[in-house]
Amino acid sequence: MLLLTPLVFATLTSIASAARLTVSIPSSPPLLPNPASLAPSTHAILLGPPGTRYSAPLRRDNTFAFPDLEEASYLLTIQSRDYFFPPLRVDVTKAADGTQEQTIAAWQTFRGNEWSNKGPQYGSGKGTLNIQVSPSSQKDFYQHRGGFDIMSFVKSPMILMGLVSVVFIFGMPYIMDNMDPEMKEEMAEMQKKGPLSGSNGAASQIQNFDMAGWLAGKGSGAESGGTVKKR
Amino acid sequence: MLSTLLTAASLLLVPTLAVFADEAWNVDYHFALLGAPKEETSFFHQPNPSSRASLIYTLSEQHALGAVNPRDGSLVWRQLLSSDGIAYRNSFLRAGEGQDVVISGVGHEVAAWSAADGRLVWSLSTEGPLEDVEILELSDGKETAGAKDAIALSSGANPTVQRIDGASGAVKWQFIIDGSDAPYQLSASSTQIFAILIHKTILGYVKLRVVVLDRVTGHKVDEYSLSSENELSTTENIVSVGANSASPMIAWTDSLYTTLKVNVVGMKSMQSFDIASHDDSPIEHVKVHAPYHVNSLSHFLVHYQTATSHWADVFHINLKNGKVEKAYSLPKLAGRGAFSTSTSDANVYFTRVTRDEITTVSSASHGVLGRWPLNTFGVVAGIGEQVEPIHAASEVSVKGDTVSAIRTTILLSTGDWVMLRDGKGIWNRPEMLASTMVVTFALPADAAALVQQLEVEAHSNPVAAYAHRVQRHLADLQRLPSIIVSLPQQIVKGFLGTSADDLTASDTFGFRQVIVCATREGRLVALDAGSPDKIVWNVNVADLQPGQSWEPYLASRIAGVVEVSSRAGAGIQYNATNGQPLAERLPVVPEGPQVPSSQVVLYTVHDGTLEASYNRTPAWAFTPMHGERLIDMVPRPVNDPVASIGKVLGDRRVLYKYLDSNIALLVTAQDSMGTANIYVLSTVSGAIIYSNVHTGVDLTIPIASIMSENWFAYSFTNEASDEASKGHQLVVGELFESLVPDDRGMMGATTNFSGMQTATEPFVLTQTYQIPEVISKLAVTRTRQGITSRQLLAVLPDSNGIVGIPYGAVDPRRPVNRDPTKDEQAEGLVRYTAVLEFDPKWFLNHQREIVGVKNVFTSPALIESTSLVFAYGLDIFGTRLSPSFSFDILGKDFNKLQMLATVAALAVATFIVAPLVMRKQVDQRWRFL
Repeated sequence: MLLLTPLVFATLTSIASAARLTVSIPSSPPLLPNPASLAPSTHAILLGPPGTRYSAPLRRDNTFAFPDLEEASYLLTIQSRDYFFPPLRVDVTKAADGTQEQTIAAWQTFRGNEWSNKGPQYGSGKGTLNIQVSPSSQKDFYQHRGGFDIMSFVKSPMILMGLVSVVFIFGMPYIMDNMDPEMKEEMAEMQKKGPLSGSNGAASQIQNFDMAGWLAGKGSGAESGGTVKKR
Repeated sequence: MLSTLLTAASLLLVPTLAVFADEAWNVDYHFALLGAPKEETSFFHQPNPSSRASLIYTLSEQHALGAVNPRDGSLVWRQLLSSDGIAYRNSFLRAGEGQDVVISGVGHEVAAWSAADGRLVWSLSTEGPLEDVEILELSDGKETAGAKDAIALSSGANPTVQRIDGASGAVKWQFIIDGSDAPYQLSASSTQIFAILIHKTILGYVKLRVVVLDRVTGHKVDEYSLSSENELSTTENIVSVGANSASPMIAWTDSLYTTLKVNVVGMKSMQSFDIASHDDSPIEHVKVHAPYHVNSLSHFLVHYQTATSHWADVFHINLKNGKVEKAYSLPKLAGRGAFSTSTSDANVYFTRVTRDEITTVSSASHGVLGRWPLNTFGVVAGIGEQVEPIHAASEVSVKGDTVSAIRTTILLSTGDWVMLRDGKGIWNRPEMLASTMVVTFALPADAAALVQQLEVEAHSNPVAAYAHRVQRHLADLQRLPSIIVSLPQQIVKGFLGTSADDLTASDTFGFRQVIVCATREGRLVALDAGSPDKIVWNVNVADLQPGQSWEPYLASRIAGVVEVSSRAGAGIQYNATNGQPLAERLPVVPEGPQVPSSQVVLYTVHDGTLEASYNRTPAWAFTPMHGERLIDMVPRPVNDPVASIGKVLGDRRVLYKYLDSNIALLVTAQDSMGTANIYVLSTVSGAIIYSNVHTGVDLTIPIASIMSENWFAYSFTNEASDEASKGHQLVVGELFESLVPDDRGMMGATTNFSGMQTATEPFVLTQTYQIPEVISKLAVTRTRQGITSRQLLAVLPDSNGIVGIPYGAVDPRRPVNRDPTKDEQAEGLVRYTAVLEFDPKWFLNHQREIVGVKNVFTSPALIESTSLVFAYGLDIFGTRLSPSFSFDILGKDFNKLQMLATVAALAVATFIVAPLVMRKQVDQRWRFL
């Protein structure tokens, strides 16, 4: 099926010996080992000057055929459900030596660049041109959610903190028991001096905070420490 | 290389909004449709001659060619033979016996398609429009081995018969028919080809002229006219022209259907048969059903249909002497009937489908070989509507004297295409949805009832409201037993499943909206967006005569009620849940041009001038410059909530949006210059507040446009020039009150604003992106309060998809030629790249192929994060979108089991650790005190 705009159709029939372009999709492992697996909706679009647009469906032999092309500069895109194909520029020009046959050539082109910025040539010919175009990449439609992963779970800061505290709770008494007595004494001294420990340390003050006394307007510090001692 | 780098860069920077693997195929739904199949072009055929498995091939009214698996009704392949929506008068589909191709003929194109996978084998364009395509079944040794040749008849200036090589598609010979007679049809025998032409006599009658050609050379052998006297007034009375030697006859009737005349092709004589009238009502049409396979017996069936009943006669042709004789009759039965012809070796079987049974008879005798009662066709229809078969195709397998199995596909009057195996429904394709013209979303009536009740309570005095509420709760109590019964099941489901699955029980999220589609055939069809597999209701609302069309307009202004109106006619309302009409039938008013209208302003196009009127008083007119024509106009949607009047920048300052509910985007084209003009109009005053011109635009390719919130977007295709690259472009423009942050410009001090008095012009930022393919239609997601960011939905006709472009990816404020600053990064802006590649993850349709989409309709769900999307045209596609991710609903990613396991683990840990901690604390006390 070649969908021609009526305007183009009229001009086409008058030119009998117009240029013919055949685009084939070769087997290109590992991306596309078997081009016969392409969906039947795969088609190629040749976009010419305003009003000229051809669309050719994929043939049984994995080719697209454009039988009659006028002299113009075309943008060739191949649309497939599963693969990306590079865009090409196809030029059909009058032959330089003045013969009847037109020259037809194809290059890679780059979207968003000047039209004159041509990439590697895919081929050129007189009257007819057969080129091969391989897919550039496969389409990946799906976003995968980050599933449950035990490693990432363990690596999370919350869990790490929890693990460290577990190690302390279970590990510390064991370490303390296995320390030699001198070290132990040293440690005890350290703890007494430390701001957090000892009966006057901040930690014990908070722990033994006399709420009722404080609310009754009593001073804090030594007095509250005293009440603790009495108990 | 550069482009791939740019793509990679843009993909890395733009936050991806994608179709998740676990939501694809579940959240979205898709009907891959073909359109109503045509009787002559629907048949069973074996794609692989060596195997007996067959597929159903059809070429539909919409010129979609496809193969359907008879087992489950799924589409094997499909090709759209008329992409630009041109309706051709004739379309043909032929399959040669034992061939692995099917040959189509549409418009100017004869094409052969591989029957198994739908790939093109060859194609050939003819000079004039096609009038007939046939396959030369009987070999004459001139074909390429294994491929049967085709013949094509085309009209136009030079009516031509062509013989086409079946393997390559090359023309073997062509014969130009002289004279001014209109080509009608072709028929072939083993040695000759007959071209049947219509000759108009001076008196206005029609005569049949037959040109006989040699099969091998294409030379004219003979020519004769059939003296059809004065009985044939139009070609509509020609009942049938047989294609080949199995049915070598031409049959016609007079205009009153009193006699049937039959001519055996190749003979100059004809025979006439009186048509017995069985009924008071006149015959509406006469149809001939004849076998297509050459080896079968030349028997045919004539089907007579009146408004209330139908019957049939079976005729036999004696090929030796060209005599036609009536063999037997099938009795009259009430209602419409559909007949289909099947062959098995040389035997011919006729299958008759009526309202309540399927019967199969052999063409040789009237004895019934198989009879299957039908209770129902298994389709949804209007209340009191009788579902009738329109046409059918069958495949029978015969064992001895009985039909052991029969598969029948039937097109029903409801528009469904169903498959029955031995009288039992196997599948059902809702092909009527392929001709959807407009759609609307409506809340189900039960959900709407609750909303109404709550409103009653809100608007009455406290005592009455309380009494009402108690009453409502008492009424709700009646449902308690059923809820208790289903409770255990729900709990189990709640633990095992994920929360988003559970749509059937209640609809707190607003996903279960009723989608009502108005079809070209004058029917309203409703789907449930929550469980879209089945049709909820299907009613005929407009009694359209053949050839009559309507322009429906659908709206749901009151929750639970759908209102349909044809152009300018008063609407009638339907219950959204069951399709019960709330008023009488709809008057169909003749059509005229129509432009989308908001409720406030009515737009009309008059002599190329756009005229706007409020309450029927003309307000302003927009006349494009000389030579320009109006392409499209998109007003800002009436219901377009915007949550924030400004854009918060990275440094907490605000850019104020230009929010005017009365603006519209207008696209005009100047064909002589190849330019497209874009205007943003104030629809109150008619003033142009922004305009732009693009040169070198291909105006034969659609220009899609959209307007929403304070931004607009449009796409076009342009030719290479000095400043532009060849290809497709998407332009996005955003309107601001001023471009200085924290400054409202002219409108700073005013609290009220009128477009009539103050002429404030917005500051417009635009950005152009090069896109890989054509966009035929643009739409935008809509959410309840407009808090969620928006996604631009673009219909891509070339890759058969719909792509959801996050607004951030096309934001015109993306910094150009520099990297974004810290503040811009905080806003999510990335550096501008000229190329915008469509990430496959943006494709809402993922691997599905959505063909022929004409429009996309979006509707907010009840929860803010989600927008419902419904695309229609040929295919039907729907999905739910969360452009800012599902922030107010637990989605599929929420793993209940994991959460429960974590809680359990923590509980266990607490129980184990608690005594330890206790002991340690006690120990500590003893140690330090």
